[in-house]
Amino acid sequence: MDDPADLTTVLADVRRGMIPAHVYNDEEIFRLEAQRIFARSWVFLAHESEIPAPGDYVVRRILDDSFIVVRDEHGAVHALFNMCLHRGMQVCRAELGNASHFRCPYHGWSYRNDGRLVGLPFHREAYGGDAGFRRSDQRLLPAPALDTYNGLVFASLDPDAPPLREFLGDFVFYLDYYTRQSPSGIELRGPQRWRIKANWKIGAENFAGDMYHTPHTHTSVVEIGLFREPKAEKRKDGCTYWAGSGGGTTYKLPPGDLRERLRYVGYPDVMIDKMLREWSPAQRAVIGEDGFMVSAASVFPNLSFVHNWPKVGESDDVLPFISLRQWQPVGPDETEVLSWFAVDKEAPEEFKALSYKAYLMCFGSSGMFEQDDVENWVSLTSTAAGTMARRLLLNSRMGLLADDEPVVAPLEWSGAGTAYVGYGEYNQRALLARWADCLETPVRTPSAVGFGTGS
Amino acid sequence: MTARPLPFGDERHLLVHQWLVDEAYLLDAQDYAAWLDLMTDDVRYVMPVRVTTGRAAGFDSAPGMAHFDEDRYSLGRRVARFATEHAWTEDPPSRLRHFVTNVRTFATDSADELLAESAVLLFRSRGDVRESALLSAGRRDVLRRTAAGLRLAHRTITVDESVLRMQNLAVFL
Ligand code: FES
Ligand SMILES: [Fe+2]
Repeated sequence: MDDPADLTTVLADVRRGMIPAHVYNDEEIFRLEAQRIFARSWVFLAHESEIPAPGDYVVRRILDDSFIVVRDEHGAVHALFNMCLHRGMQVCRAELGNASHFRCPYHGWSYRNDGRLVGLPFHREAYGGDAGFRRSDQRLLPAPALDTYNGLVFASLDPDAPPLREFLGDFVFYLDYYTRQSPSGIELRGPQRWRIKANWKIGAENFAGDMYHTPHTHTSVVEIGLFREPKAEKRKDGCTYWAGSGGGTTYKLPPGDLRERLRYVGYPDVMIDKMLREWSPAQRAVIGEDGFMVSAASVFPNLSFVHNWPKVGESDDVLPFISLRQWQPVGPDETEVLSWFAVDKEAPEEFKALSYKAYLMCFGSSGMFEQDDVENWVSLTSTAAGTMARRLLLNSRMGLLADDEPVVAPLEWSGAGTAYVGYGEYNQRALLARWADCLETPVRTPSAVGFGTGS
Repeated sequence: MTARPLPFGDERHLLVHQWLVDEAYLLDAQDYAAWLDLMTDDVRYVMPVRVTTGRAAGFDSAPGMAHFDEDRYSLGRRVARFATEHAWTEDPPSRLRHFVTNVRTFATDSADELLAESAVLLFRSRGDVRESALLSAGRRDVLRRTAAGLRLAHRTITVDESVLRMQNLAVFL
C-alpha cells in the first residue's frame, strides 16, 4: 500500500513529541499499522499455562488472523493458522478446549493437533490419491515465527523477524518481576474480553508511562480507601524506565530493605524467599536499594502489564496482583481488550484467592481503575476523527525542555535501560518512536504458498 | 432447572417478581446505596466469563475467571466509589434501563430461601451520539426471607456474550 501523502510530516511530528491527534482515529493510518506493525512485530498470543496438557488449545488472533495455539501430544506448542487448506473454512470454531484432532466441518479434512493433515475423505476417488494431491507432510499453515519467554507465547507474521529475545531486549529485566517470581513462573486465568470504542495505541501508551494520570483519573479509588498509593505526591516520586522494546512505571517505596519492601506491598515470606533466589542482584537492587516497585508497563506494540497492591478487606492489609492485557486492534476506533489475571504458580492458595479478588476490584471488565481509564480513551478517540483533529498537534513533550534536554537528569540506579524520576512522557514518546520506525518501513510480503499439488 | 416453578399466582412468586422489578427500578435510577441494602451480609454476586466451546467440552465459562466475583466488601467499595464526585466513567451518568422478564420462582429445601430465575436486558446510553450498548443475561438468584423483607444472598449472572460489547461494567445486572 502507498504511504498517505502526509505520512512523512506525521512521523516527523510524532518524533518531536507533537502528536497529530488524528493518528488515534484514522482509517489510512490503521491500514498501515496492520501491515507495518502487526504483520512484522512479535505479538503476544497466549501463555503456556493456558494450555498445560497435550491437546489443550486456545484460539487467538493477530488482527484478522486467527491462530490455534495448541500443545501437541509431545508437549510442543504450535500456532496454526485457523484456515482449512482446502476451501478455507475455520477448522476450529471454539475459543478453547482439548482436541487430538481438528476436523474441518465443511468437507471433513482432519488435522492432528500438531497441524498435520491426516484425513482427507475420498482421497483416491476425488484426487486420484497422491498423484493429484500429495497428502503426506501437509500441515495447517504455521505462524511464520513462534517463540516464548517465561512461558509467554509470541508469534510474528514476519518469517525474517529477529529472535524474540533480541526483540524484547533489556525489557526482560522487568518482565521477570511480573512473570518469574519463582522457578515455575506464572499461571494465567481468563481472559476477560470486551470491546471499547478506543484506539489501541492509547492503552499501550498509558500503561507504558502515564504516571501523570493516576492521581487525577483514579482519585475515586483513593477516596474509597481501596488504594493508598496514587496520591499525587507519591506518584511523582516513582520513576519511568524504557528498556529494549518496552517500558513502564514504578512506585517509590518507603525506607526498608528488599524483604521489608516486598512485605510492604503484601507478599508473604514464602513468596519473597523465592523471588530473592530467582532475581539477579541488579533486579533485587532496584527494589531493595533503589526503592522502586514496578507497576504498569507495555511492550511494543500492544501487550501491557499491571502490578498493584490494593486493600482486599476491611483491614489495612494490602495484597498485590498482576494482570496481563492486550490491546487487540479491531479498527481505528475500536479495540478488543483481553485482560488476564496472573499469579505465581507456587503462591499459596490463599494468596491466589485474595490476589484474584484484588485484580477483579481494580482491573478488567469491571475493575474500578479500568472503568475510568476506558471512559477517557473512548472520549479521546471519538474526538480524534474530525477535521480539527487533523490540525491539532497534541503535546506529548512532558519531561523535555524546548531544546529537547530532559527536565531532570536520567536516574542512576540498578535498573536496565533509561529511567527518569517524576512525571514525563518519555515512554509514550519511545513507544510512538518505535511506531514511527515501523510505519515508515514497508514490509516484504512473503510469497504465497499452495499445498498438495506440484512439487 | 428440573423442579417445577411455583404457579404464577403463588404468593411467593408474586413477592419475588415484585422484588426483582423494584430492584430493577433502583438500578435504573442508580440508587446504589438502596440497592446495597437489599443484599445479605454474606452475599455472593458472580458473573462468570462465558466462552465458546464445543458441545462435548462440558463447560462454557472460563475456568477460574469472572467479570464479577463479589462479596459485601467489594460491592460496598464499588457503591462507595459511585458516591464520590470522581467516578468519571459515570459522570455524566449513563441512561440505564434494565428489562427484567421470564421470571420463574422455585421453592427450595429451606423455608427461608426462594430461588428465582430471570432474564435481564440492559440498555445503556452514554453521551448524546455515542452508540448505545446492550447486555443480555440470565440470572439465578437465591433470595432469603428476613425481618426486613427479601434479601439477595446469591446471584449468578450468565451473560450471553463471550466478548462484551460494553466499554466497562460500571453497572450492575
Ligand atoms: S474447506 Fe475444509 S475440508 Fe473443505
Ligand atoms: Fe489508569
